[in-house]
Amino acid sequence: MADKRVLIVDDEIHIIHVVAIKLRNNGYEVISADNGAEAFDLAMRDKPNIIVTDYQMPVMTGLELVEKLRQHEETKEIPVIMLTARSFAIPQEQQEKLQISGCLSKPFSPKELLGNIEDILYEKELVADN
Amino acid sequence: MRFGRSIYVIATSVVACSMFTGILAEVRNSGTEEGWCFAGYAQRMPVALVCWVVVAVGVILLGWYWLRLTRAITSIARLVKDGEANAAGKGRGFFASLRMTKIDELCEAFDKHFEDCSVRIAEYEKQIKDLQIQIQLSLRRGKNAEAIIYSIRDAVIVFDEYDRLLMANEAAGRLFKFDFSSSQHRTLSELLAADQSELAGFISHCRTSQGQATRREIELLEDGDRKIFDCIVSCVYDQSRQVCGVVAVLHDITRERQIQQMKNDFVSQVSHELKTPLASITAYSEMLVDGEANDEKTRKEFYSVIQNQAGRLSRLIEDILNTSRIESGLIKVNKEPVSLTMLIEEQLQMIKGCAEEKNIEVIRQKPIVFDQVYVDKDIMSQVIINLLSNAVKYTRSGGTVKVSTEVDEVASLARLIVTDTGVGIPEDEVEHVFDKFYRVGANNKQAKGTGLGLNLVKQMVETVHDGRVFVTSKVGLGSTFGFELPLARRQSVGTV
Repeated sequence: MADKRVLIVDDEIHIIHVVAIKLRNNGYEVISADNGAEAFDLAMRDKPNIIVTDYQMPVMTGLELVEKLRQHEETKEIPVIMLTARSFAIPQEQQEKLQISGCLSKPFSPKELLGNIEDILYEKELVADN
Repeated sequence: MRFGRSIYVIATSVVACSMFTGILAEVRNSGTEEGWCFAGYAQRMPVALVCWVVVAVGVILLGWYWLRLTRAITSIARLVKDGEANAAGKGRGFFASLRMTKIDELCEAFDKHFEDCSVRIAEYEKQIKDLQIQIQLSLRRGKNAEAIIYSIRDAVIVFDEYDRLLMANEAAGRLFKFDFSSSQHRTLSELLAADQSELAGFISHCRTSQGQATRREIELLEDGDRKIFDCIVSCVYDQSRQVCGVVAVLHDITRERQIQQMKNDFVSQVSHELKTPLASITAYSEMLVDGEANDEKTRKEFYSVIQNQAGRLSRLIEDILNTSRIESGLIKVNKEPVSLTMLIEEQLQMIKGCAEEKNIEVIRQKPIVFDQVYVDKDIMSQVIINLLSNAVKYTRSGGTVKVSTEVDEVASLARLIVTDTGVGIPEDEVEHVFDKFYRVGANNKQAKGTGLGLNLVKQMVETVHDGRVFVTSKVGLGSTFGFELPLARRQSVGTV
């Protein structure tokens, strides 16, 4: 794929580190942030192809980040995958409303995350071509 | 009785004949010198005398008979008038004593009548007594039921089939702000406020549908606070199975809901906290298995992360268990007089290495001579190490951590104070630092934690040892954490 820039957002440095290694090993460019506010600034500046964000973070949560992304022309189309360690899943209606492309529960498999990212970007490319 | 009656008849006849004979003799003798009735004068005198004696006796007998008769009739009249059927007993004997032929049958009839009356009256009196006892029992049962209803803590209100108030206890009066004594027979719509229309509608619906007891959770305002009630409404049926009223019982479940919500929040938080290090362990393990760690250095880094995160998980589980044990009162506590200074010295040795690594100066101010406190040594050690390690964790390289103790003889308290030159805590977050799982957002970059350390400190000091924790802080300048505990008694110290 031509555009393979991923923004990873998580307040756990180890999660960012292991996901970054996995994605870089598979040819992706990785940028990261440890809170939602910082992630939004990076998204506006670097226009990632996809964002992987944790749900529960200080300063700005993952959900608040997505809401803000959808309010701006430059970022409203960026697909988002939500990582959550909470016992409840994000309701389907909320996922559709905020155009969240996928949810993964922690602990998650880096392999599975990679698979989800590739599927979403492939679909996006198909839509763009049509 | 019959013999007496016969005597009366014979006597009456003799008297009548004698009177007739005497009168006849006198009439005959008044017209002639010698009477023809009885041969001669000598015979006429005794006959007249006998006749008069007999007449006198007859009159006396008649008089006596007359008196007894009138007496009997008067008694009968009195008995009948007074209704003293019990006097039948007296009447029976009384009438039996009369022994008068003509009124024997009347006496017997009256006797029997009074006997029947007395039996019936005795029965009626017994029935009246039974009914009175039943009335008393019913009244008492009613009073008991009212007393029970009035003493119930739940609000109980009773309406009739026209939605008019019949009964309400004190709890209902407080909840709905009415006085029962002045509100009886007021309607449902008059008693309940506009924001209680849901309850009014529920009660009316249950009454009209005549269904079984129905339950619903209803929110109501009580003293300005929003409260949740478990409301059960039941229909009251009369003997013909028609609805004659409705009983509503409202049980306050606000606290239960809050506790349930706290439990859910706690489980949710614990789940999140446990999954976080577990996510790292899982991800790094998978990377190692899949051969994604390309070199030895990376592999060692992965192993180290797994090990650290496993340790973090273990500490977290231990903290959660300790918190749970303290909150449920199950923690084992062995209190003894211990020198606070001694405990501090031991824990300072534990953090010395970490402080030196970060080039943080630990200043131990002059210890107090007598600062014995009555504590569990292990628990208090945990408290001190938590405070010291937090101070070192959140202080940047080159900063200082000051440790001091104080004794307040007047208040009989010993204090430990730990002051750092660390990142500080925002003013609006200071009051929350001792909450469960609370972490100051801005300080997450500086250091990681379980979010339970300070909560455990608070519980161990306050719940287990009747002490008090305190904190002051300024962003960018540092924080002061501490606690105070009651001093151990001098005599206890002397015997150790």
